[in-house]
Amino acid sequence: MAINREQAVAAASRGASTRVAQVIAARFKVGDRIRIRNINPVGHTRVPRYIRGKVATIERAYGVFIFPDTHAAQAGEKPQHLYAARFSARELWGEQANPLDNVVVDVWDDYVDPI
Amino acid sequence: MSTNHNRPLSDVEIRVKALESLLVEKGLVDAAAVDALIDTYEHKVGPRNGAQVVARAWQDPAYKARLLADGTAAIAELGFTGMQGEDMVVVENTLDTHNVIVCTLCSCYPWPTLGLPPVWFKSAAYRSRVVLDPRGVLSEFGLEIPAEIRVQVWDSTSEIRYMVLPERPAGTEGWHEAQLAALVTRDAMIGVAKVTHPNE
Amino acid sequence: MNGIHDTGGMHGLGPLVVEQDEPVFHHEWERRVFGLFLPIAAMGTFNLDEFRHAIERMGASGYLNTSYYEHWLHAFETLLVEKGVLQQTELAARCAQIAQETH
Repeated sequence: MAINREQAVAAASRGASTRVAQVIAARFKVGDRIRIRNINPVGHTRVPRYIRGKVATIERAYGVFIFPDTHAAQAGEKPQHLYAARFSARELWGEQANPLDNVVVDVWDDYVDPI
Repeated sequence: MSTNHNRPLSDVEIRVKALESLLVEKGLVDAAAVDALIDTYEHKVGPRNGAQVVARAWQDPAYKARLLADGTAAIAELGFTGMQGEDMVVVENTLDTHNVIVCTLCSCYPWPTLGLPPVWFKSAAYRSRVVLDPRGVLSEFGLEIPAEIRVQVWDSTSEIRYMVLPERPAGTEGWHEAQLAALVTRDAMIGVAKVTHPNE
Repeated sequence: MNGIHDTGGMHGLGPLVVEQDEPVFHHEWERRVFGLFLPIAAMGTFNLDEFRHAIERMGASGYLNTSYYEHWLHAFETLLVEKGVLQQTELAARCAQIAQETH
């Protein structure tokens, strides 16, 4: 059944959050030092290459969200914690970067190892 | 579907018509819903929404505190909700930090407050370079960030949508919210510009 | 996947071109593609992550040589055919018919 114009406009203004109301113990908290796993999946993933293997600090903890890697493969929502990880630009790009600059990237729990 | 064209349709135009017409015929899509969504995002949703949020935050410290603590809820107070803004985070420019937003993997952008993204935001050129050389890219927008100010790039890899709360320009003390909102640009809320006083 | 979509940190992806006073859409077909997104998503045939992956799977040269809304169109066609909602043959036949009617 096709949605009509009222339903479409209402759905657009409502949106569809991928936040999951599930209580899961968080492995990390704001301020923790972490390393991004060096993974190279052939399917969909939201961990960009430029942060793999790099060290970061948890900047924000967002709570539990659907995991895109499995969701894109119709392999389930695999709800897990999502964080904003702060990388120094020098960690990512070396000495050419300004020592003050940062790049903050959202990372799911499955992308992260403790240090 | 009109066939009254004065030039042949391009391949992509043909593909779009083919797709929509098949889905409509099968009863899977209502063309009126498509029309309504186009109208909403072409005429009703856009960066003037975000500008209202910014102006309110400049005027009302309690609102600003709520905005930075829970962007989604504070933005919803002004009536801005929905697709690609379900979970909003607002990052504040300060005396020592300038923020800029990108999506290196696709083109994630906070639709309810900024509308649909401009072509440059979606371009491989911007997405590839702003994380590697943010100061160079900002300079191409005419924005020079002094070396002693931190540039913090936010790469929207998840469903969190980011927006920058720019600095309020000097000389706007006592201005009304609507006057302030009129100064706020889309680019300032992405972080590739600053908000400037009209006399600057 | 380690695809071309994963642009962060690459060089050589062209100059930054900024259009002043850019319209929301540049062509009527872009409007239609945009407007189709939510109604197609509401069919429940695929989720947003599958949609993004369908764009990622289009290949490096196709990805770089087509625009944002062409990426969306490609993903719609790919997923609706893969999921059996549409047949590739009926899409091709309809394209041929429209081309003939409007040439």
